Amino acid sequence: MGTVITIEQKILKKNNELAEENRQRFDAHNVFVVTLVSSPGSGKTSLLEQSLALLREHLRVAVIEGDVQTNRDAQRIAALDVPVVQIVTSGTCHLEARMIQDALQQLDLDQVDLLFIENVGNLVCPASYDLGEHLRVVVMSVTEGEDKPIKYPAMFRKSQVLVMNKVDLLPFLAYNLDEAREFALRVNPSLRIFETSCTTGRGIKEWTEWLMLSARTYRSGIIESSRL
Amino acid sequence: MHEASIVESLLTFACQHVSDGKRVQRINVRVGVLTGVSPDAMQFYFEIMRENTVCAQAELEISLEPLRAHCEVCGSDSKFSELEIVCPVCGAQALSYKNGDELDIVSLEVEDGNCYNN
Repeated sequence: MGTVITIEQKILKKNNELAEENRQRFDAHNVFVVTLVSSPGSGKTSLLEQSLALLREHLRVAVIEGDVQTNRDAQRIAALDVPVVQIVTSGTCHLEARMIQDALQQLDLDQVDLLFIENVGNLVCPASYDLGEHLRVVVMSVTEGEDKPIKYPAMFRKSQVLVMNKVDLLPFLAYNLDEAREFALRVNPSLRIFETSCTTGRGIKEWTEWLMLSARTYRSGIIESSRL
Repeated sequence: MHEASIVESLLTFACQHVSDGKRVQRINVRVGVLTGVSPDAMQFYFEIMRENTVCAQAELEISLEPLRAHCEVCGSDSKFSELEIVCPVCGAQALSYKNGDELDIVSLEVEDGNCYNN
């Protein structure tokens, strides 16, 4: 029998510490940081493209893209003339705070008001890793099934906003939007919910206006980001 | 497979906190049901990644915490082994969860005479 040493600390303490460093850096530069998480193919990059087109009229935006392979998403963002850094994780199924720290070397935060981080498409693993963002947005498309929030509760609990995407497809699906919404709110009653279509543009204005208001509120220092 | 990097964090912690020549016999961790972390996958990666570390002989003991829920309608408290939506007492869909996000190192068991240096 050995000696038992009580530890009682988070396994991911190191990541949490690096995430806090990131957050302090963002705060020092007054950059509002929003992470997008979802399963693969829910439309995160399309939502970004649609949002950036409106947001860039009012704010200086930049994007960090996370993917397991390829820089295809970064190319799509770069085509909009928005500063973008691609993180290729080469197999790792999520972004970690230290990857963001590395990527920040390629961004001039003094030239950015709003930074998006698009995480690797995965509804499980990214939930455990704080990146230092101020807001986490989970995107769920209506082709995925209503019960995703209760099947993958961690991601919905760790997010403050839910974007239900591809709602233009609802007439062709047996998807019950109210049920999906109910499941999401059961898992996280404080989720703020938007409905969007990147094809028709439905809901994009409401979503981006709210985001702009949140960024402005954060940047004016009136409200702690955690209370948005 | 985020379990691999979670196990890596665990091993890094153990290696940094156990002095040279001492070996870890057991690591006790606590995992919440709502983390999406699989205990089986953690064990799998632990057995591979512990090689050539102070944990090479160590066992990983994972305690899965039951979920504690409170019903906002009838006020009853329940425990579950997985996420439930409906209150088992009154049938309302009004459960709020008190925990489930645990991902903690509880303790290390080290050979006697260890020089834990935190």
